[in-house]
Amino acid sequence: MKKMTEAQLAELETDLNAIREEVLADLGERDARYIRRMIRLHRSLEAGGRIMMPFGFLPPVFVAATATLGIAKILENMEIGHNVMHGQYDWMNDPSLNSQTYEWDTVCTGDSWRRTHNYEHHTYTNIIGKDRDYGYAVLRLTDDEPWKPWHTLQFINYILLSVFFQWGVGLHELETEKLRSREISWREKLPFLKQFARKGGRQAFKDYVFFPLLTFPVAPIVLAGNVGANLIRNLWSSTVIFCGHFTQDAETFTEEECEGESKGHWYLRQLTGSSNFTGGRWLHILSGHLSYQVEHHVFPDLPAHRYPEISGKVQAVCRKHGIHYNTGSFAKQYGTVVKRILRHSLPEKLMGMARAA
Amino acid sequence: MLAKQTQQKALHWLGRQLFNRDDPEAFFDPLLERINPMWVQEYTPARVEQILSETGDTKTLVLKPARRWSGFRAGQHVNICVEVDGVRRNRTFSLSSSPLLWQEQGLVTLTIKRLPGGLVTNWLHDHLQTGAVIGLGEAFGDFLIPEPAQPVLFIAGGSGITPVLSQLETMAAQDYRAPVTLLYFVRTRDDVIAREKLLALKARYSALTLNIIATNESREPRYLRGQDLDTVPGIKARQVYLCGPKGLMDLAQGLLSERGFADADIHSTFFSVPSANLGNETLGGEVQFESSQMMVDSEGDATLLEIAEAAGLTPRHGCRMGICHQCSCRKTTGTVINRLTGQTSGPGEETVQLCISVPRGPVSLDL
Repeated sequence: MKKMTEAQLAELETDLNAIREEVLADLGERDARYIRRMIRLHRSLEAGGRIMMPFGFLPPVFVAATATLGIAKILENMEIGHNVMHGQYDWMNDPSLNSQTYEWDTVCTGDSWRRTHNYEHHTYTNIIGKDRDYGYAVLRLTDDEPWKPWHTLQFINYILLSVFFQWGVGLHELETEKLRSREISWREKLPFLKQFARKGGRQAFKDYVFFPLLTFPVAPIVLAGNVGANLIRNLWSSTVIFCGHFTQDAETFTEEECEGESKGHWYLRQLTGSSNFTGGRWLHILSGHLSYQVEHHVFPDLPAHRYPEISGKVQAVCRKHGIHYNTGSFAKQYGTVVKRILRHSLPEKLMGMARAA
Repeated sequence: MLAKQTQQKALHWLGRQLFNRDDPEAFFDPLLERINPMWVQEYTPARVEQILSETGDTKTLVLKPARRWSGFRAGQHVNICVEVDGVRRNRTFSLSSSPLLWQEQGLVTLTIKRLPGGLVTNWLHDHLQTGAVIGLGEAFGDFLIPEPAQPVLFIAGGSGITPVLSQLETMAAQDYRAPVTLLYFVRTRDDVIAREKLLALKARYSALTLNIIATNESREPRYLRGQDLDTVPGIKARQVYLCGPKGLMDLAQGLLSERGFADADIHSTFFSVPSANLGNETLGGEVQFESSQMMVDSEGDATLLEIAEAAGLTPRHGCRMGICHQCSCRKTTGTVINRLTGQTSGPGEETVQLCISVPRGPVSLDL
């Protein structure tokens, strides 16, 4: 990690705070209009997808319905749910957009997400041993983590995690790695498991039981379409999230270097531990603006549609302090993610030998 | 009836499964609002039918709430919500019309005075137009006319007349059989709210004695005095209703207790006055944790989270630096200052982050 003195970090903090305050002072009707437009779009897509699905016995309609419902879920999870739960719209004082009560259209409960993501991941970003999002306890993505033989096949794990992403995220708080090492007991996880079963059951009931049965004669088609829509969302959200922290240049940190850190150091960690990707407007919207992961990690509670507007200023601050601003095309960034997963499948020594040869 | 209830319960359960929210009926609100704002389900929508000018700084809004609204009793108040620059603002106002108007014509009125520096009252005066739709909550409050009839004395000041207007209209309509006196304090004669209505009431309702007193027209301010009470016939037997600015309420309370009135015979309702303008350095205050039924004093720039923890509570929290919003909590009343931005909150109900909010004066939290 780039070394900066406390004075430099304090200056970095001041510079970034200035950007944040400028946006905060300007929050208002424009932001409210934006998120409501997204919500209207989501409601329309969701209703449209559900209505079209029973007519999926016509192949083009099946494709359209599945895609529509998949995009609806992506929009709700990424641009609405994730961002609302970060408190980006709490200032609107609208109970439907309250960070603490919002419940999203995925298996993971809002409460579990608020603990594991908003608190753990955003506070301890990329600190190996503290940020459980780093590799999700399934993947080895840095040489700081000791290699074990089962890492050899981790690419298969990655594919499985992506396919069943909503279930993986839903079970994240179970902390299976700590259960395996007996650090915690199953009994402690009982309340969590109850919540998980309730929400997971609700989601499965909706997509795999209720809507198929509602249109009984074509139930298999509706079931297949709903599975497809969930799959589309799973693959896309997993890919976007992996591009946010697991690209080649995204840095990791040790617990020691972050002990008692200042806000400036926290900012530096967010800047160097995250990575963006470029693309068109709708790519950004469908990624919940996590394509601006750097801006999101520095300012997690600013309305996400503001990230493109402040990106130039954040880049200027990075240039001023000589901090690498990690961005690239979607294809390039995702390419480095795949490479990183593959590279760390094998122990460091072996990789070193391969390079030497 | 029972079958219908069960059916509704089942539907509600299904809605919760499908839409992941406790008020599934509001899921399509953002779309419905665009088609017809009166179809919104989250709150009771009410259309502004008419805006009447009462005095230079007071207007009456004539509202038509959606039919599902449950109605009210004379003297009750209601929360309204309006969106000002993207922020939903909730404020409480007394209903100034009689419940009969709601029953017969489906209309209610709110009589609202412009408060100096008041965000919502000024917005209502300057921007609200006929045809707009605002949100309405259910009516509440126990500032109610005695049943069966008893002699009544109303002491109202300024826009504190609003619940009394509703009560007098109701009493006149049902020919309430007991003496009723209104002592109405206004700054100047021009500040009398609903003058015509009051005069018309007096003309058609013989039990009513009306005494309008201007406080600021003489050289010496002419406030409520003992004599005003002593000249009310049969004062000892009256139920007293107080509504007005704090100065008037305190004065009246004092004079009434001197005259041996029991607390049970004095009814008062809160009247929104702008809070005293504390300097920015005046931080801290009494913090009420409503769910925990606990009240603690705080001093200096201690945050609500620190205050709660010092009081032995364990509110949910995370980063303690204003990032993760784990500690966001409903503030029901009071003003707080954001430690990060130095910004001052509004006085009404809203969500605050406990870890960076410092109370300025008394604060109540849903915690």
